[in-house]
Amino acid sequence: MEKTKVFTYAGTALKNLFRRPTTIGYPFQPVDYPERMRGHIEIQIEDCICCGLCMRSCPSSALKVDRQAGTWAIDRFDCVQCGYCVSVCPKKCLTMNKGYTAPETEKTWETFKKPEQPKTETAAAGGKPVMDPEKCVYCTLCAKKCPQGALTVDRKEKIWKLDSEACVACGLCASACPKKAIEMKG
Amino acid sequence: MAKRSIVPFGPQHPVLPEPVHLDLILEDETVVGAVPSIGFIHRGLEKLVEKKDYKQYVYIAERVCGICSVGHGIGYCEAVEKVMDVEVPTRADYLRTIWMELSRLHSHLLWLGLLADAMGFESLFMDSWRIREKILDMFEKTTGSRLILSVVCVGGVLKDVDSGMLNEILRVTEELKKEMKPVIDTFLNDYTVQSRLKGLGVMTRDQAVSAGAVGPMLRGSGEPYDVRALGYAAYKDLTFEPVTAQAGDAYARCEVRLKEILQSLDLLREAIEKIPEGPISVPVKGNPSGEYFMRIEQPRGEAIYYVKGNGTKFLDRFRLRTPTTSNIPPMVDMLKGCQMADVPVLILTIDPCVSCTER
Repeated sequence: MEKTKVFTYAGTALKNLFRRPTTIGYPFQPVDYPERMRGHIEIQIEDCICCGLCMRSCPSSALKVDRQAGTWAIDRFDCVQCGYCVSVCPKKCLTMNKGYTAPETEKTWETFKKPEQPKTETAAAGGKPVMDPEKCVYCTLCAKKCPQGALTVDRKEKIWKLDSEACVACGLCASACPKKAIEMKG
Repeated sequence: MAKRSIVPFGPQHPVLPEPVHLDLILEDETVVGAVPSIGFIHRGLEKLVEKKDYKQYVYIAERVCGICSVGHGIGYCEAVEKVMDVEVPTRADYLRTIWMELSRLHSHLLWLGLLADAMGFESLFMDSWRIREKILDMFEKTTGSRLILSVVCVGGVLKDVDSGMLNEILRVTEELKKEMKPVIDTFLNDYTVQSRLKGLGVMTRDQAVSAGAVGPMLRGSGEPYDVRALGYAAYKDLTFEPVTAQAGDAYARCEVRLKEILQSLDLLREAIEKIPEGPISVPVKGNPSGEYFMRIEQPRGEAIYYVKGNGTKFLDRFRLRTPTTSNIPPMVDMLKGCQMADVPVLILTIDPCVSCTER
């Protein structure tokens, strides 16, 4: 039941006068960020296959991936730290780390370049997957691995179908194939 | 009859955190009418649904508003899940409920601070926001972000909360209960607060219902309408009774929000005790085709999410009716007859969230 009182807050106000401040002296006193803090994105560029899935998923269009040049670029001012790119990355080379990015006076793109390396069989060679019907056993592993759900495999009917529009040529199907029936050349 | 004059109020006003404009029609110092106008921060977020795929749009729906962010994510995802017939795991439902209740706590504490500030009670304002900071810290620990959590996805949630973190939330709720005592005592019983709020902007139950008020605005007039009672997410398993107050004045709205804070703390405890083990999300394949209306209870009241899918990955339409949209007509009714000096406090009692309203 409500009552009417006076000086209700006086006790708390007096206590607050003699209490240590609740705030901390940031930036002189460093902040202890929690483990899960989403501060900024980092990339392990040597693992990146430049499939461009992160670029297509980014809600704020803060990423640019160039497969030909082998570069991955981010505009840190456009990035909203939602973490969607991290969750879609098929190679898990993106991570969300602690700490905010430093302020700058100009909006700039930070570009990472993939180190030159000899092309391997499974790496994306710029093409889309092509299946060799003689080798394929229709095990459906490739369809399960596809991050875009672009492959439809029916074991009974012996059907292997690729949705070329959805395919980002990441090469995960080729590397998952136990019979090496997929080549990235389409 | 006194001479009528029109005084512009807003869009920039010390009491308003967001821009809304009112033309106040005055007779001497008494308000006889108010004409609201919005449109200062329209961003066209609903239209973006045609350009971003339905999974990507979760992040945009969340960014409609900073304070109701979790709720917008949950409302949108639940609507898409209903269209696609996706059954969300129970643990994900519970986690969504926990984040939703934490968000209600921080939204109500933010409002209490703003109200205290509008009344000129600065130390109470600071104290409310100091308490709110603990909830933001819990958000950061469990999800990685302080306000816009980006933790809900179509098919469940993205991050699990282990028992250690759940216990920490429990510990924080206990602490909050203790710290809220002097704050609640001051808001409900202090002479200054009572004389500022009591008898101000009275709305009867009939007036509130016919003007379409929602949330604490409606419950403050004695109508026990709360969408959580419908039992979406994990609310069906929790003990829940809508909080109401009878007076229908500014004080009653404040009382409803204060009691909802205590209720949220109890709901949090119950949800953490009952949360089952299990997966946190299910894979979602295919595209939505069909339409659905989803209603959820945001801290400010009932919000409606409408989605219409056409079988492609882009939705045809997303419509969001926010609580503030429905609370503007009752606010205009409420302002009639009040004094010019009471207008800022009265506008604040609907807890206006203009960025939600304009999307």
